[in-house]
Amino acid sequence: MPRRISIGFATIFVVCIIWYAFTTGLGIIPSGRFPSPAETWSALTHVSGRGYGGGDLAMHVYNSLRLVVMGFLFAVVTGVPLGLLMGWSRRAEAFINPIFLIIRPIPPLAWIPLAILWLGLGDAAKIMVIWFSAFVPSVINTYAGVRNIDRPVLEAAYMLGMPKLRFITEVLVPGASPMIFTGLRLSLQASWTTLVAAELVGAFYGLGRVLNVAQQDLYPGMILVGMIAVAILGWGTTRVLGMAEAWALRWNTAALAAKG
Amino acid sequence: MQKQISFGQSLTLGLLGLLGFIGLWHGLALSGLISSVFLPSPLEVYDRFSTLTERRFAGATLPGHLAASFERFAYGFILAALIGIPLGLLMGWYQILDEIVSPLFDALRFVAPIAWVPFAALWFGTGIGGPIMIIFAGAFPPCVINAYRGAKFVDPRLIEAANMLGTPSHRVIREILLPSSVPSIISGLRVSAGLGWQSLVGAELIVASAGVGYMMVQGQANVSTTTVMAGMVAIGLVGLTLDSALRLAERMIQNRRGLEH
Amino acid sequence: MGVIEFQNVDKVFGPRETGFRALQDINLEIRDKEFVAIVGPSGCGKTTCLRMVAGFENATDGIVSVDGTPIKRPGPDRAVVFQQFALFPWKSVYDNIDLGLRNLNVGRSEREARIAAILDLMNLTQYAKHFPHQLSGGMQQRVAIARAYVLDPDVLLMDEPFGALDAQTRVVMQEELVRLARKNPRTVLFITHAVEEAVYLADRVAIMTRAPGRIKEVLDVASIRNAENWDSQEKIEDVMDLESFVHLRTHIWRSLREEKAAQHS
Repeated sequence: MPRRISIGFATIFVVCIIWYAFTTGLGIIPSGRFPSPAETWSALTHVSGRGYGGGDLAMHVYNSLRLVVMGFLFAVVTGVPLGLLMGWSRRAEAFINPIFLIIRPIPPLAWIPLAILWLGLGDAAKIMVIWFSAFVPSVINTYAGVRNIDRPVLEAAYMLGMPKLRFITEVLVPGASPMIFTGLRLSLQASWTTLVAAELVGAFYGLGRVLNVAQQDLYPGMILVGMIAVAILGWGTTRVLGMAEAWALRWNTAALAAKG
Repeated sequence: MQKQISFGQSLTLGLLGLLGFIGLWHGLALSGLISSVFLPSPLEVYDRFSTLTERRFAGATLPGHLAASFERFAYGFILAALIGIPLGLLMGWYQILDEIVSPLFDALRFVAPIAWVPFAALWFGTGIGGPIMIIFAGAFPPCVINAYRGAKFVDPRLIEAANMLGTPSHRVIREILLPSSVPSIISGLRVSAGLGWQSLVGAELIVASAGVGYMMVQGQANVSTTTVMAGMVAIGLVGLTLDSALRLAERMIQNRRGLEH
Repeated sequence: MGVIEFQNVDKVFGPRETGFRALQDINLEIRDKEFVAIVGPSGCGKTTCLRMVAGFENATDGIVSVDGTPIKRPGPDRAVVFQQFALFPWKSVYDNIDLGLRNLNVGRSEREARIAAILDLMNLTQYAKHFPHQLSGGMQQRVAIARAYVLDPDVLLMDEPFGALDAQTRVVMQEELVRLARKNPRTVLFITHAVEEAVYLADRVAIMTRAPGRIKEVLDVASIRNAENWDSQEKIEDVMDLESFVHLRTHIWRSLREEKAAQHS
């Protein structure tokens, strides 16, 4: 809707004006609290150029992105098959469920101190925590996806009779795929949150580290730059996932109807 | 073919799985393959848990820390609900408000609540304001989104029926729009509580001087794995209780309306 | 060969003593290439009969067999057409039909030929690359029928296949099915609660009682059809106008009404 988009731009424009006015123009917000547009810009050039917190922006972005992608993929590659198994086999579900019920209520971020104790401040601990937090949504949603497959469709598949592998790849996975992707979205979201948190607690590089050092240095402009960078990367990776989803789910009426 | 299994079988398998897990944990810990600094046995964790309920660590007993955590959570959560739900409802009912607020919302959506921690630290130090702000950041979106959905996706036929009956607008809002949004709102509160509780933990790991998260960080700094694990158990238990309570509320409301989900 | 036999079949859902008794003492033989319809009040267990032949349910007592072999599990030799179509939404029309043939390890060129033939037969050729959601209900059910037929099954099981279609489409599908069945006959077990449909399509019609379902009566339609030459009529409404047709239909209605009355008493 064009009106919606133009109002959207208008709002953001107004917000920027207010931002400028409150900080630079009218000085209502002292510069120690929230950075002005100018301060933010200078922080951006600072971190892109001279570098900050141990490296330049590109390096921090690369490292954070690298860890998120690795943790996310690791979680998906382990979580989706487990979800498929639990969704498909009542036995497997009964066996694994209690363990799951214990692990689930523990907030992913709560694994950070343990991860640091076990693996230190390096990459391994980060990936472990990301794995823990991204793993759960993948399993749960894949499981729900399998359970949600229409009974008649499953029966039609049995009637046609096929080898197990074909059943999994051509019936189970495609059938569960809408919900699998929902799980992937949640996993990605969880991955970013956990990574930033883990890097805030302790890291050698990455956007979380930038945020951490900026906070200790009382450098609001840099904090804002860090936050914006995280938001943009989060948005970007979600877009990529969305494109994969759109391609994989071309056949899905419900999704098409919702978007239209 | 996919077999249904009986309740008895499922119970047995469940117990087997549980015992297997704990047994494996215990076995690994006791075998000495992994030093007990890294992997304390379940008993040691339990032990530490009960010790902490009486003895202070990092400033307070475990219940003391939990109380501090929960207090912050409560403030942040209630604030998020009080602001978020009305906002969401209004956005759902008045298109113009939706168009103005949504872009801001969408832009901020990708900022994980935890990313607000540096600003929280900057503005509030280690005071109570910091964690409350983070919890708010986490709990706010689901409140708004679910209230919005509840308001927006009212069955249009209900509204048509109300109009046909000549209902004045304030009554339409109070007696039709509001009640029909309630299930979605409650659902949102559940998600919101979960996210809020999680954000709390994250906040306390970084900017607190009390609370369970803080206790865990101190435990980690002192290389007391049992403390860290005891903290995790405590957090998990509280989170579970919270979720179960809200789930119960959700179900009670659904039953009263004869809704099956 | 496709001879279906129910021998003293009982079916109880739940514990044997206290569960829901769906079927009681079913005895029925369906001869090779015979088209048999089962009609009955809802809940009488007629779908359960079909599901037992399909292999989705097991008999509590008695034997359900095809060509003398008791049925253990589903398979492409007893192809099923479901009321809800049950097409794989993520596969194109072509792939939906192809899957069954691939499972039978049919070679590529033969698959292509068979699929082309069945698509042509069912007037689906230009929709081969479409996805199910792009097709109307009637077309989707055509695909489902094609999927079953292409397997060249001994037995075709149709569970209220036209129940989800609107009235006009239903009539068209009935005419098409008759054409298909006459051209390419095989053993068919057809479940429906629409009496006219059963009389129009079937060689024999079995009437079931209300639950616990028993076979109340089996009517021989084929002999009347042949004697009165129904097949000379082109349109379905012309057949349904014939006195012999009306007579059979009314007979079955009366029989079902008795069941309905007994059900409420």
